[in-house]
Amino acid sequence: MINVSNLSFAYGSKSVLKNISLELNGGNIYGLLGENGVGKTTLLTLLCGLKKPQQGTIDTDGRNPWDRQPSLLAEQFYLPDEVSPAHSKAEVFGKESGKLWPAYDQAKYLQILSEFEVDPVQRMDTMSSGQLKKTWIAFALACNARHYFMDEPTNGLDIPSKAQFRSAITKYTSEDSVVVISTHQVRDLENIIDPVIILDKEAVLMNASLEAISQKLFFDYGSEIHADSLYLERTPGGTVQVYPNTTGEESKVNLEALFNTVHAHKETIKSLGL
Amino acid sequence: MKSETFNGSRFWNYFKYDLIQMWRNHMKAALGISLAGLVLYVAVISWNLIFHQTWQAPGFDGRMIVAFLAFCALELYQTRTYGYLTEKKAGSAWLMVPASGVEKWVSMLIITLIIIPVLFIVVYLGVDWLLCLVDHTSGASLISRFADGVSKFGALGPEDIPFSIGTLIWMGIAGFCFNYLYWLLCGICFKRYKILWGIAIAFVSSLLISIIGGSALAMHTDSVELITNEAENIGTTLNWLSGIFTAAAMCLAGGILYRIKTIKH
Repeated sequence: MINVSNLSFAYGSKSVLKNISLELNGGNIYGLLGENGVGKTTLLTLLCGLKKPQQGTIDTDGRNPWDRQPSLLAEQFYLPDEVSPAHSKAEVFGKESGKLWPAYDQAKYLQILSEFEVDPVQRMDTMSSGQLKKTWIAFALACNARHYFMDEPTNGLDIPSKAQFRSAITKYTSEDSVVVISTHQVRDLENIIDPVIILDKEAVLMNASLEAISQKLFFDYGSEIHADSLYLERTPGGTVQVYPNTTGEESKVNLEALFNTVHAHKETIKSLGL
Repeated sequence: MKSETFNGSRFWNYFKYDLIQMWRNHMKAALGISLAGLVLYVAVISWNLIFHQTWQAPGFDGRMIVAFLAFCALELYQTRTYGYLTEKKAGSAWLMVPASGVEKWVSMLIITLIIIPVLFIVVYLGVDWLLCLVDHTSGASLISRFADGVSKFGALGPEDIPFSIGTLIWMGIAGFCFNYLYWLLCGICFKRYKILWGIAIAFVSSLLISIIGGSALAMHTDSVELITNEAENIGTTLNWLSGIFTAAAMCLAGGILYRIKTIKH
C-alpha cells in the first residue's frame, strides 16, 4: 500500500502539488488523469523516489521512496514517457539488466516480447520508438514488481500494440500490485483503469473507483437530452451525457466525459462525495 | 535480511552490469584514446615518407608528449563516462536500478580509478612496445625507458634522495585520483558544458588558493623558508602535498557519493 500524506511540491515559486493526500491500494490499476502541467509526472516521480517531497510524506509499505533503498527499488518499476535504448539486443538487455531485479523472469520477458511482436534479437538502438517502448514495458512486467508507475505508456504505440498493452498489463501484473498509469489517452486504457485519480492545479479533484463513480453519476448514451446534464457531447453516433445518478441505475463510465464533467463542475462533483 | 547500504552479492551483480554498460558505451572511446600512439606513428611515418622520402618513426620525446596528452584527454573523458546521470531518461533509469547509492558509488570509483586507467596504460604501452619491436627507428619503448628510470632510481641510496619514495608514489596516486574524481564529479553535476564548467571552477579555485595561500605564506616567513629550502625540506613539502591531494581526493569522492544520493529527476 502507498500512502501519500499532505504532499507538496513546487518548481521554484511555481507550486505544482499542494497538500495532496492519497491512498493507493494493491490490486488496482489507477488511472492518473489531468491537464498538461498539473503535476502527473511530478507525482509519479515523487512516488518512485526520483524526487524528494518538499512537504508531506510518502509511505510505500513502510518505506520512504526517496531513500531509494534497494529492497524497495527491487519491488517497483518506473516507466517514463520517453525511454532510452540500450546498445544491445533486446534479449541480451533483459538477460543483463534483469539480474538486478530479484524476481525478474527472462522467459516471461521473451513471452511478452513475442506477444508484442518485438524481435528479441533486434538491437534496441535500431528500434522504432514504439518497439522500444514495448521492449521496456515487457522488461518492466518481467521484473515482477509490486508497484508500477507508468507515464504515458501508450504514447508511440500503434493501434494493435495498445490492445496488446492492455492485455499484458492485466495478464502479467500480480493481484496485489499497485499500478499507476498517467495518461492523456483515456480511450486507450478505458477498460483497464479502475480507480480513477483526476489531478487539477495543486489538488486531487477525484480519487474514486468506477463503481463509486457510476453510483453517483449516470452516463447516458441515448439521444434524448436530459434536463440535469452536467456535460453533453455530441458524437457521430449520438450523444454522451453525464448527470447525477438519482435512480441508482448502473452505466458504463466514459472516462473522457467524466474528465470533462469533473473539470467543468468541480463543486458539484465534490458535493456528490466523489 | 540484506543490508540496504552494502551487500556483497548485490554489489557484485551491479558491478558486472555497470562494467558491461561501460564497455558498451564508453570503453571503445577510451580504447580509441589509448591508440593515440599508433595515430602519431602513422602520421609521422607518412609525413617523413611524403616530405623527406625517409622511413623515420616518432622519437621518444614526441611519443612521451602524446602519451601525456592522451592521458589528459582520458582524464577529461571522465566527464562523459557517467555524464548520462544528468540526462532525464538515462539518469532516471540508472537511479531506479535496485542497488544502494554506496554500491553504485563504489562501482563508479573502481571503474573510473582502476579499470579505465589500467586498460589505457596497458593498451598504450603495449602498442608502443609493439611498434618499437617491429620498427627500430622508434628507438626504445616507453615501458623500457620507464623500467630504466625505476632501476636507476632504485640504485640511489637514502643519502642521495632527501625524501621517501613511498611518499612520492603516494602523492602521484593521490594526485591522479584527485584529477579523475574532479572530472567525474563535474560530469555528474553539470547538465551541459561539463568540461567548460570544470575548467572554469579549476581556474577560479586555483586563483583563490594562490591568493589565500600566498597571503598565508607571506605572513609566516618560516613557511616560505620551509618550502624554498629545497634540499632539507623537500620531504616535508612532499608530505604536505600528499596530504593535501589525499584530503582533496577524499572530499571529491565524498562529493560524488552525496551527488549520487541527492540527484533528482
